[in-house]
Amino acid sequence: MTRRNLAWIALAAVVVITLAIVAWPGGGKPSDAERVRSVGSELRCPDCESQSIAQSSTGTARAARADIRQRVASGQSDAEIRQAYIDKFGPSILLKPESGGLGILVWGLPAAALVLGAAGLVLALRRWRREPHLQPTDADRELVQRARPR
Amino acid sequence: MRHRVRWIALCAGVVVAALAVVAATQVGTDPRQDSNKSHLLGKDAPSYDLPTLDGGRVRASDLAGKVVIVNFWNSWCIPCQEEHPALVEFFRRHAADPGFAMVGIVRDDTESAIRRYVDDEGVPYTVALDPGAQASLEFGTRGQPETYAISPDGVIAGTQFGPSSVANLEDMYAAARGQS
Repeated sequence: MTRRNLAWIALAAVVVITLAIVAWPGGGKPSDAERVRSVGSELRCPDCESQSIAQSSTGTARAARADIRQRVASGQSDAEIRQAYIDKFGPSILLKPESGGLGILVWGLPAAALVLGAAGLVLALRRWRREPHLQPTDADRELVQRARPR
Repeated sequence: MRHRVRWIALCAGVVVAALAVVAATQVGTDPRQDSNKSHLLGKDAPSYDLPTLDGGRVRASDLAGKVVIVNFWNSWCIPCQEEHPALVEFFRRHAADPGFAMVGIVRDDTESAIRRYVDDEGVPYTVALDPGAQASLEFGTRGQPETYAISPDGVIAGTQFGPSSVANLEDMYAAARGQS
C-alpha cells in the first residue's frame, strides 16, 4: 500500500468518525422535561416572530409548554405532538422544514451538491496530477544561462 | 475519465435545474403564508370553559346547537379597537335570535384593563377571560383580532384573521348557518 493510499484511507476514517460522532444519538433515554424542551424548541412561538415555544415568554407559548408537558405525560410520542401542532397551526409552526415531501429537497439538494462537488474536485485533482509536467528544453537552459549575471 | 466528468457535470446540472424549479415555484410565495389562515376550518371547534367578566362562566357545551361567533381581542390592540363598532353592529342585528351567541375572549391582557375598556366603550356580548391562554392555544390563534364562526353542530365554518367588517361577519354567520 502506497503512502498516498494511506493518506486517503486516513482522511476517509476521520470523515466517517466525525460524522458518526455528530450523528450518534446522545446516551440514555431523555427525561420528560428534556422531551418537553426538545419538542418546544422545534415549534415556533405562535404569536412572536423568531422564537421557539421553549424560548418565548408569551401567554400562548407558556400554554403550549404546559400542553406539551401534558401530552408527554399522557404518552404521546414527539412526532404525535408535532403533528398535533401542525394540524392546529399548519406546517409553518415548525422552525425546521419537514424532512419529507418538498421539505426533503431543502435538506437533500445541498447534500447532493456537496457530494457532487467533492467528487468533481477529486476527479479534477487526479486529472491534473496525471498531466505531464513541463520539462526544460536545451533552449530554455541556454536562455537561463545567458540571463544569469556573470 | 472524460465520461465520468461528463456524468458529474450532468448530475450537477440536474441538481441546479431542480433547485431552479423549486426556487421558481416559490417566487412570490411567502413560506409562512399558512400562518395567515386558520387550519381549524371545517374541523370540530375546540372545547372551552372560561370565566366571564361578569363573574359567570361560558362553556362551549352550553352553546351547542347555536351559531357562535368567537372573537379574540384585547384592549391595547389597535385593530381590535378599529373592528369594535362592526362587532357591536353585527351583534345588535342578531341579538334577538335565540340560536345565536357571541363571545369575546380576551387574549393577552389584564382584567382591569378589560374592565376599563368595557366600561368606556360598551361591549354588549359576553366577555370571557382566558387566564392560562388555553383557549387561545386551542383555537390556534396567532394574535388578535381573530374571529371564528362555529356552526350549531360545533364545526368551525368561518374564520377571520385581522379586523372583521359587518359584511364578513355576516358571511361567516351565513356559512355557520349553512346558508352560504
